[in-house]
Amino acid sequence: MADTLLAVRNLKKYFPLRKGLFAPRAYNKAVDDVSFEIPKGSTLALVGESGSGKSTVGLMVLDLLEPTGGDILYNGQSFAERKGKDRLALRREMQVVFQDPYASLNARMNVRETVTEGMVVHRIGANAAEREERAAALLQQVGLPPSALDRYPHEFSGGQRQRIAIARALSVEPSFIVLDEPTSALDVSVQSQILNLLRRLQRDKGLTYLFITHNLGVVEYLADAVAVMEAGRIVERGTVDEIFDHTREEYTKNLLRSIPSLDPENRKLLLNAD
Amino acid sequence: MRCETLLILACGVPKLAESNSSTPLLQVENLHTFFDTPRGTVRAVDGVSFTINKGETLAIVGESGCGKSMTALSLLQLVPEPAGYIESGRILFNGKDLLDLTWDQMREVRGSDVAMIFQEPMTSLNPTFTIGWQMVEAMEIHDTTTGQQARKRAEELLSLVDIGNPAQVMRQYPHELSGGMRQRVMIAMALSNSPKLLIADEPTTALDVTVQAQILGLMRKLQQEMGMSILLITHDLGIVAEMANRVAVMYAGHFVEYATTRDLFRTPLHPYTQGLFASLPARARRGQDLAVLEGTVPDAANWPPACRFEPRCPYRWDTCAKVPPKYHPADAVWPSRCHLYDPEITDRPRVGAPRGKVPSGSELQSAEPKAETPLPEQVAS
Repeated sequence: MADTLLAVRNLKKYFPLRKGLFAPRAYNKAVDDVSFEIPKGSTLALVGESGSGKSTVGLMVLDLLEPTGGDILYNGQSFAERKGKDRLALRREMQVVFQDPYASLNARMNVRETVTEGMVVHRIGANAAEREERAAALLQQVGLPPSALDRYPHEFSGGQRQRIAIARALSVEPSFIVLDEPTSALDVSVQSQILNLLRRLQRDKGLTYLFITHNLGVVEYLADAVAVMEAGRIVERGTVDEIFDHTREEYTKNLLRSIPSLDPENRKLLLNAD
Repeated sequence: MRCETLLILACGVPKLAESNSSTPLLQVENLHTFFDTPRGTVRAVDGVSFTINKGETLAIVGESGCGKSMTALSLLQLVPEPAGYIESGRILFNGKDLLDLTWDQMREVRGSDVAMIFQEPMTSLNPTFTIGWQMVEAMEIHDTTTGQQARKRAEELLSLVDIGNPAQVMRQYPHELSGGMRQRVMIAMALSNSPKLLIADEPTTALDVTVQAQILGLMRKLQQEMGMSILLITHDLGIVAEMANRVAVMYAGHFVEYATTRDLFRTPLHPYTQGLFASLPARARRGQDLAVLEGTVPDAANWPPACRFEPRCPYRWDTCAKVPPKYHPADAVWPSRCHLYDPEITDRPRVGAPRGKVPSGSELQSAEPKAETPLPEQVAS
C-alpha cells in the first residue's frame, strides 16, 4: 500500500441559512462528515449530482474555504497545525484546474504572465529569463508551441485554454492537483486529448489527483478509487470495479442506470418504451 | 404508433396545407446559412439536406462550431440578423416551403406547428413573470385558448410533463425552480399548441445525468402519445443511441455521414465518426491513451478547400487536399463524405484504410437501409 498523501477526517461545512439575533439556527449542511484518503500517485474520483457538495470538498481540501469541523492531513500533517508561512507553503504543493477555461484564466494577462505568476510568488527560478524558459518547457509538455507565450486567452480554443490552465497549475511543481470537472466544457474529441495529457502527467510526475466530476465515463477510464456523494455525505466508496459492478447503494445504482447506453439496439433509459 | 399518427392527423387542426402521408413532415434541401463578418463570409451551414418523417426522431450530432445549432435556427428563421442570412435552399414543411412565408405567417408557424426548446431553460424563460403567466401568453398568442381555459390547459400540460403540483408551479417564478423543472416547463410550453415538430437543441446538456434520463424518457413518452417528430441537436453519442431513429454527423458546416442510428453505431464509415467513437473514455481503455483527433475544428470563415476533415484525418493522402469528396460515394451504403468509399478515386489506399471498422462487401449488403427509413438521394453540394 502506497503512502497516503491526503487524508480527510470527518470534514463538515455548514452554511447558515438565516441570520439575525433571534432567528432559530438553521444550516445548509453542504458537507457533512466526509472522510477519505488518497494514496500518493493515485486518482480519487468524487462523483455526485450538482449540489451534492463535491466542489465544496475540493475548496476545503485546497485550503480556500474554512471547514466547520473535521480535519485535513497533507503528508500526515494537519492543516490546523500549520501556521503562517508553513500553511502558505501548501499552496505550492496543491493546485487546481477548474471546469470553465473561459472563466478561470485572467483575460488581461498573456500566457507568459499567467504561467510565470506562480513561480514569482513561490520564488521558483532565479530570474525572469529562467522562468520564461521554464514556462516554455511547460507549454511544450502540455502540447502548446512556445509562441503561445505572448498571446492572450481569447486567442485560444477551449481545449488550448485548458492546456494553459494545466501548465499554470504545473508551474509551481505541485504533487497534488484538484481537477474540478476539467473536461465538462470541452468537445468529445478535445476531451480525449486532455484526458491523455492528465494521465501522462500523472505517470511521469507521480501526481496525485482529486477528480471532481459527474461524468461517469471519465471516472471509469481515469480513476483508481471512487467516492459517491449525495447531499453532503459520502454514501459509498470503492474501486472502479466495486462501484460500477457491485454497488450496494440505491443512489449509485440510479446514477449508473442514468448513463445513456452507446448501443441503439439495447437502449437503457427507456425501459417501458416499446 | 402509426395509428396514433393518423389520429393526430385526423383530429389536429391543420395550420398549413396537409399533404398525403407519404411525404415527409420536413424536407430540407441544400440549405445554406451564411454570416457576413469582418473576416469574410462564414459558411455556417453549407449545403445541408435531410428529411424527418412523421413520428420520427432525427439527431444531428457534432462538436461546437460545426453548424448544428444554426441548422436548427434556420428552420425557424431565427438566425441572428442582419449578419446571418439564409443564402439558399428549401425548407419544405408538409410540402410547403417555409422560406416563401411572410414574417407574420412564419410567426404563426413558430411555437404552433414547429416548437423549439433550448439548452439553458433559464435564459429562455422570462424571470419577471410567473410560469403560469408565460404559459398562458404562449397559448393566447396562437389563439389556441384564452383566459381560464388556458390556465386549465397549462395545468394539464404541466401534469403531462410529470410535474406533481402544477397549480403551485404556475404561481412560481423561474428562479424558484430547479434546472430539471425549468426544462419540464419549457417542454410543456413547447407542447401547448400541439406541435408536429419539436426542435430540441442540446435539451439536457445543462442537467445532471439522472435528470437528463428523466427528461429524455419524458420526450420519448410524449412523442409516442402525441405522434410528433423530433429534431434533436446534440454532441452526445449516448443520447443519439437512446433517442434517434436516424442520425446525421455534422462537421464544418455540412453532413459527413447520414445513416440509421443502428447502422451508424454498428459500422461508422466516415473517419470523423470513427474518431468520435474511438475518443470516448471507457473502462476497457484504462491505462491506454484514448484515440485523439489531432487539432481542432477549422475556422468557419476559412474551411479547408477540399475535404474539410483532411487536416485532422488519420487516413489523409494527397488527393484529399485537392478534390472535395462526394457526399455519397458509390462504395458507401449510406452517405459518407470520404474518398475511401469512392471507386472513382483511383489512388485511394488499399492498405491503411480504416479496415477494422469498414464493413466488407457482404456486411454492406446486410446493412442495407430498410425501406421505412429511406435515406435521401445523393445531393451534390
